Parts: sequence; C-alpha cells; structure tokens
Amino acid sequence: MQKRNTYTEIEDFLSDESFQSWILSKIDEDGWEEWTLESRSRAKLVEDARHLLLAMKVPESNLSTSDIQKALQTTWLKIEEKENQINFIENSRDNFYRKYLLSGIAASIFFCLMSVWFYKSHFSKDNIVTYKELIDENSEGLVEQTNNSSKSQIITLSDGSSVLLQPNSKLSYPKIFTGNERKVYLSGEGFFEISKNPTKPFYVYANEIVTKVVGTSFRVKAYSDQPDVEVLVRTGKVKVRSNDLVGKSDQEEVVLLPNQALRFLRSDLKFNKITNITEDEELVRSVGNIEQLSFEFTDIPVSQIFETIEQAYLVDIDYPKSKLKDCHLTTSLSDQPLTEKLKIICKSIGTNTNFEMNGNQITITSEGCN
Amino acid sequence: MKTTVLPFTSFDDITLWNNLKEGDEKSFSMLFERYYADLVRYGNSLSPYEEKVQDCVQDVFTDIWVYRASLQGSVVVKAYLLSSVRKRIARLFERDHIFRKTTSTDSIAFLLEFSVEHELIDDDYATKEKVIHLNKLLNELPSRQKEALYLRYNQGLTVEQIAEMLDVNYQSASNLLHRGLLSLRKEWKGAFSLFLLLSSSSF
Repeated sequence: MQKRNTYTEIEDFLSDESFQSWILSKIDEDGWEEWTLESRSRAKLVEDARHLLLAMKVPESNLSTSDIQKALQTTWLKIEEKENQINFIENSRDNFYRKYLLSGIAASIFFCLMSVWFYKSHFSKDNIVTYKELIDENSEGLVEQTNNSSKSQIITLSDGSSVLLQPNSKLSYPKIFTGNERKVYLSGEGFFEISKNPTKPFYVYANEIVTKVVGTSFRVKAYSDQPDVEVLVRTGKVKVRSNDLVGKSDQEEVVLLPNQALRFLRSDLKFNKITNITEDEELVRSVGNIEQLSFEFTDIPVSQIFETIEQAYLVDIDYPKSKLKDCHLTTSLSDQPLTEKLKIICKSIGTNTNFEMNGNQITITSEGCN
Repeated sequence: MKTTVLPFTSFDDITLWNNLKEGDEKSFSMLFERYYADLVRYGNSLSPYEEKVQDCVQDVFTDIWVYRASLQGSVVVKAYLLSSVRKRIARLFERDHIFRKTTSTDSIAFLLEFSVEHELIDDDYATKEKVIHLNKLLNELPSRQKEALYLRYNQGLTVEQIAEMLDVNYQSASNLLHRGLLSLRKEWKGAFSLFLLLSSSSF
C-alpha cells in the first residue's frame, strides 16, 4: 500500500480501488484516514479526489435478482436456439459439400466416358458401328423419331409395320419405303411387328448387326452404350448377320425361330444364340408387356381386346362403348403389326367400322357389330 | 455493497472464464449474475432503450457460450464484456434506422448522467455545494470524455483497455481522460484553487 505515497494527482486516487471503497463504501481496510492526516497537502488532494468521486456516482441498476435470473433463463434459451441454428447450417453445409463432391465425381466420370467414347469412335472404327454412322450411310431421306419419355411409343411405318419404341431409344426410317428393301435404323430398344411382304425384305440396322425379316414380330435391343445387341423373336423367322461396315465379308448368318434369341458381343463380334429364352435371366427380365400378352382371342368382348391392345402398345383407344358392348370376337392377332390388328378387328366387327390413328391416340368409329 | 457479491468473488473472473471455456455452465451463470446488471446499465448509457439493451447483453453472453471454444484465455473479463456490449449496441445502431441517432460507431453518445452520492456527504453545506457543482461540470463534459472517465474510474479499466474499446490509440485515450479532468480543474480553479493545490502538492 506504499504505492499511495507516490500519488500526486487526483487521478491516482480516483483509480485506486481501496480508496474508492473507503470513500464510497466506507470500508477503510488500508487506514486511509490516518494516512491522509499525515500531511496537509495530501489531505487537500484526498479531499478533492473524494469530492470528485462523490460527484461521479453512477445510478444503481434497478434490476432485481429475479430480473437477472430471468435474463439468465432467457439467455440459455437463446443459446439453445443458436446452437440448433448452427448445427442446421453446418449440416446443410455438409450436404452442400457432399453434393458438390458428387457432382464433381459425376463430372469426372462423364469426362472419362467422353474420352473413352472419343477414343473408341476415332481409333477403333473397324469394330464399333454407331447409329450415327449408319444413318450417314443411308442416302434416302430419313425420318427420325426419338422417345425421350418414360413410356414406350408406337410408330407405324408406311408399310403398316409397327414399332414399339422404348424410352431413350430412337428409330430412323424413310417416310415411304421405296425399292425392293425396307430399311430402318435403331438405337436403343424396339419391338417390331412387320407386315408380311416376301418381295420386300425388312432390315433392322442396329449397331453392328442387321436383322432381316420378311414378316414377323421380334425385339431388337441395341443401346449404343451397352456391350451387346440382342434380338429376340416372337413369331416368324428372322436372319441376323453382322453389318458390312464391321468389315467381315464372309459373315455368318444366324437364323432365329420363334422364342429364340441372339446376343451379339460387340467387343469381339461374336454371335451367341440363345435357344431357350426362359433360361436367360436378362432376357426374361426385360420382356415387355407386348411380349407377355396373348393376342389369341376366343369369343372375347371387343372392349377386352381393345384393352389388351392399349396395354401392349401403350395407346389410347376411343370407341363407341354402348354400340360395341355386345360384340365378341374370335381372332388370332399375334403375328400382326398394330395397324393390321386394328384392320382385322374393324373388319370383324362390321363393314361400317373404321379406325384412325393419331400418335398414341386411336379412334374407332362404328355403328355396332353384325 | 461489496459484501453482497462475496459468494461470487470466491472465484475470480479469470478462473470462471477458463472454466466457462471448458464448458462449465455454473461458471457461465456466475459471470452472468456478476456482470449482467452492470452491463445493462452501461448499455443504457449508450442507448435509452432498456429492452434492446438487455437483448444485446444477453446476445453477448449467448455468443460467449456458443463460441466458447474459440475464446481467448487471457482477457480482462470485465473489459471484454463491456467492449462486447458496446460493439453490439453500435451494431444495433447501424442496423436499426429508427433506433439510430448517429451513423458512426465511435460517435455513439454516452448518455449517462453522473449523480451525487448524497448519503455519503456528511460534511458541511459548503462541501455539498462543491460536490453538486463538480457533478454539474462532469455532466457537461463531451460525451466521449465522460465515457472515458466512467470506464476508467467507475469500471476500473486501464487506459489501454479504454483505448481498445473506444477504438483509439493509447495517447488519445489518455488525452480523453486528462482533458476531462483538466477542463474540470480550469472551471474549478476560481472556486477551489485546485490548480494551485495540485502544483503545491508536487513538492
């Protein structure tokens, strides 16, 4: 406490806690009173400091203990709220990074795939044939139909053949078939029902293979990003060979009969014939509606037949329900493309029955059955 | 007055502070109880809106707890708290246009009025008059000088801490304090000849 002996200014006293406590709380632990009286000049200084301190009082807080406790409660609630908020933000930040990382990875994978594709399309031309190359080979004016929807789409060709095009697939075909051949180009998957015309064979070009038919129903699955091409036959007879573009002149030709299939390995240009399609897991799994449904009808109401067609081709059939409610048919439609089926049904119902096709919408007009 | 806070003073600020940093809720509550009223009063000297000030002080404590892991270990707790409250109120001024009186954070008016400790003046009438006159002079000081004096002598902060709080350098803070008392002395001189007294005391 001998520090105070060096005090020369009011400020020195003002900031001395012990001095403050003597003046403001009358607690004189350090004997300020005696010390002050030791010197006259000191007494004067102390007095002035005292006056100043007394004039510098700060109003007491009017907060009670319970006010402070309440404030403390409120603060803990605020803390809880803030911590939750921070956790939330951190979580969403994590998610953001995760998303960011994932899209980064996705981008890298995409880049890699693009590189592979680039490499393949430029350096191994002799092996892989793409849809685009096939289209470029053809000099006829082609129409291209792409199915970007999630459902199958029905395409009716100029010869009455129908193609049920699966999602993410496209088909190029001439608006009208001319000459002695019918050629279409497929990327992806399609179920073909070809109208019979022995003089004009029908060819499906899909990746490295060509499927030749006269009149039949079959499925071709040829996605450009998959390692093999599949052909599955439902009715009739088809012949499959590899495309000339692949480069083998004396290619083998594989003949497929109903319920036989073929898998073509694109990497080594090999045909794998599958004679029992029920034993091939992949084929069984990918069987579409149309291949499961039976088109053999024996004394079946017309409404039921229309319903089957609707399911098979994913089309919408509008018909006069009351007029046709008592009509029953017995017919075999398995081997017919959609338009043929409709023609046969209309003919069977009655002479004044017709159909009109507009995309996926089919309208039947009828005055009732015979 | 001091005896009422005795149960708390058994732990000093820095011990409580470091316990708080480790996640001790009790230490947090003790510091809160020790300083809340004082901080609210200081806040109210910067802004008369009592509720908003209490909100600010609570927010300061909220942040201390939430970000306790990143708090510094060696601080003067009182100075830290006062400074945090000041900053937060300044921020409120900036944000709230209705609330705002000034735009710059370092020109917030210190509105506190010093009062006279009447009960302690058991002297003669003349002394009472002196004290009342001094109080009037103190309250007429520029608000920044007043705030510096308050922080120095009522809150017991060092000049360094005041400089940091008011965002000025050491010399400016020192000047603020000195000028405050100097102008008092000038006014004072005629009435109490303090100047003479001070110069004589330096012998």
